[in-house]
Amino acid sequence: MHAQRFTALTALVAASALVLTGCAGGDAAPAADVTAEPEYSGTLSILTKFAGEPLGPYFETLAAEYEELHPEVTVELIQETDQSVKDKTKTLTASGALPDIYFTWAGNWAQNFIDGGLAADLTDVIEPGTEWGDTFGEASLSAFQVDGKYFGIPLYNNGKFMGYNTAIFDEVGIEVPTTFEELIESCAPIRAAGYEPIAFGNKDGWPALHYLQQLFAYNVPSDVLQDDFSPATATLDDPGYLESLEQFKTLVDECTDTGTGTNGVLYTTAQEALAGGRAAMYYQEILEFDTVTAEGNTLTPDNFGIFALPVPDGAAGEPGAIEGSPEGYLINAKSPQAALAVDFMKFATTLENATVLSSPPYGQPSTVVGAVTPETSSVAVFEGITKVNEASELVIWLDTVTVPEVADAWLAGGEALISGGSTPEQVLESVRNASDAAE
Amino acid sequence: MLLTQPSKTEEGVTAAITAVTPPPRTPRRPGARRLVGLAWILPAVVVLAVFVYLPLVQNLGFSTLEWDIYSGSQEFIGLDNYEKLVGDPIFWSSLWNNVLYAVISLAFQVFGAIVLAAVIEGIRNDRWRRGLRAIYFIPSAISLTVAGLLFYFIYEPNLGMLNYVLDAIGLDAWAQPWLGQESTAMVSIIAMSQWQGFGYSTLLFAVAIQRIPSELYEAASIDGIGSVRRFFTITLPLVREMTGLMIIVTISGAFQVFNEVMVMTSGGPNNSTQVLGTWLYRNGFVRNDFGYAAAIATVIFVVTLAIALVQLWINRRRRVEW
Repeated sequence: MHAQRFTALTALVAASALVLTGCAGGDAAPAADVTAEPEYSGTLSILTKFAGEPLGPYFETLAAEYEELHPEVTVELIQETDQSVKDKTKTLTASGALPDIYFTWAGNWAQNFIDGGLAADLTDVIEPGTEWGDTFGEASLSAFQVDGKYFGIPLYNNGKFMGYNTAIFDEVGIEVPTTFEELIESCAPIRAAGYEPIAFGNKDGWPALHYLQQLFAYNVPSDVLQDDFSPATATLDDPGYLESLEQFKTLVDECTDTGTGTNGVLYTTAQEALAGGRAAMYYQEILEFDTVTAEGNTLTPDNFGIFALPVPDGAAGEPGAIEGSPEGYLINAKSPQAALAVDFMKFATTLENATVLSSPPYGQPSTVVGAVTPETSSVAVFEGITKVNEASELVIWLDTVTVPEVADAWLAGGEALISGGSTPEQVLESVRNASDAAE
Repeated sequence: MLLTQPSKTEEGVTAAITAVTPPPRTPRRPGARRLVGLAWILPAVVVLAVFVYLPLVQNLGFSTLEWDIYSGSQEFIGLDNYEKLVGDPIFWSSLWNNVLYAVISLAFQVFGAIVLAAVIEGIRNDRWRRGLRAIYFIPSAISLTVAGLLFYFIYEPNLGMLNYVLDAIGLDAWAQPWLGQESTAMVSIIAMSQWQGFGYSTLLFAVAIQRIPSELYEAASIDGIGSVRRFFTITLPLVREMTGLMIIVTISGAFQVFNEVMVMTSGGPNNSTQVLGTWLYRNGFVRNDFGYAAAIATVIFVVTLAIALVQLWINRRRRVEW
């Protein structure tokens, strides 16, 4: 072999060996001691999903106040949006650069970090019965509980409701629907009055999953549904799935103006349709209530109402279930600043700061007991959080509760159902295949 | 005397030359010269090695792994990810979308652009010629992400300009949820991309046409050859080099499409607009399957490398000189 070629080949093989050897290496950082006394110095990095208005200033203000209290501490904020935080978190995880504190959803999303040893065990400081733990609602703490250990700091609660314009309902002369069938029936008179009955944008795919998950909770018995989230136990053969998919398709076809083109509409465009008084209803999270009724919008807090997505007649699942779950933060198990990170999160969840978070313009209903009251929060946020607290069961978002492959199959299936590209049977079959492959 | 005894002036010049001319250097040994040469190229080699070749080798390594980014565990699985590629229908539909993208881009951004460039360069009025060049080039100055967002709103089914215009001119039956249905989404994205890239290739062809000696056109005119024949017998053969380059660049670009798809549809609806780049992203960042994503990246690399090699081969064989 020519000498130069041999040298090049040797270099390539050596580099490959180096890479593969490097791949096999483990990161043996000591476990974070969250109970230690914090050292108030150094830089504390935090990944949030509060980028942009109106949420961005919340953590900025917190960071500034914390730095003022502890001048030797610098808080480095990485603020992302609801969509971009997913990529950012995974990039930082893959490159071993997770910040000291990072955002998480409940369900499979948090489970991955817990299983991977990337989330510090906070049981000693946050479990019910501890000083800090007792400041939270117990149900919200249990959303991040695995094998009896507590890993997450729930920051705010969330749930999905149909928000509606009471003025349009009055004008059309309809009442809040009590069944899913009544909801569908109400769409024709609303459209006849010149309004879009339900604004819906599914460009990102997940908004469809919110409808589907709520309908699954109504139509599929709870124990079956929970088993079906995990590929190891999933059968996905309950007739409630097909009923839900058909009901969802009916809603899209009968109640939205965009119909089969809904995949081409942004979620926020639909949100603006309700806020601008052009649509009568819009399925949304509690976190959005203060946004759709913000100053300058046609929709005001006075003519904004909410109701849970009505239960279909004869549904075999849990009629009192509400889709939603707390969202919160994990502390990097490998962080040398774990104690300081806990201290910062204690500061972020004081009753005073929790009340600020729950009030307009933020409107994020805190999980801290006593932070959401009719005095501090808007009427809708208070009503929503009360309904979440009273729900017989909370069902976590479909795109975060199950494994990514199955969630992705639901996502594509929801889009195909809307556009008419697949039948409910075909959608369910594709999800079953994804679940089998993920097993 | 004059020849042997320089004048005062000549002496001055000679003295000045002697003063500024450095003493002759001792010639370097070939080994030392080679070392100096290597030292000069070393920074570039290091940068290339670290930022281009090492990631390439790393990617090959990753494609043979099952990699859990959360636990950090990496298991060697050989060619399993490549086997999975073969049986993955979305991988094939993504590849088809890239091919479709390449074919349409070739039609518009290469052959359409040559024709347009020839038409523009054939305009006698200099002001018009410059103005048209600028008009066609402006979309290329807009970032692809911004253009994607712009067209997202143009295609929007309810509020978008396209459906509004169709409605206004009585073609409301043609109004579509352009990005919202499988049948029109990919073509709509490609159309936006043509709008954005068409002017740039037109400008490049215009420059190539300007380099053709005007005598050739004048001689052809004197011989009574019409403009269409002039295009096929003079323009087209003499921009052959640029055409070859543009074909390669266009095809290669078509296999690296990412931004416009992510901005406009994120690969949906129902994965109908997935291209290799977005399918790679989805597997890595949504499905957490970084090993499989690396295997897709290897396919993209092989395809673009093959195209680059073809480009090198063509450029070596088909040089046009006059």
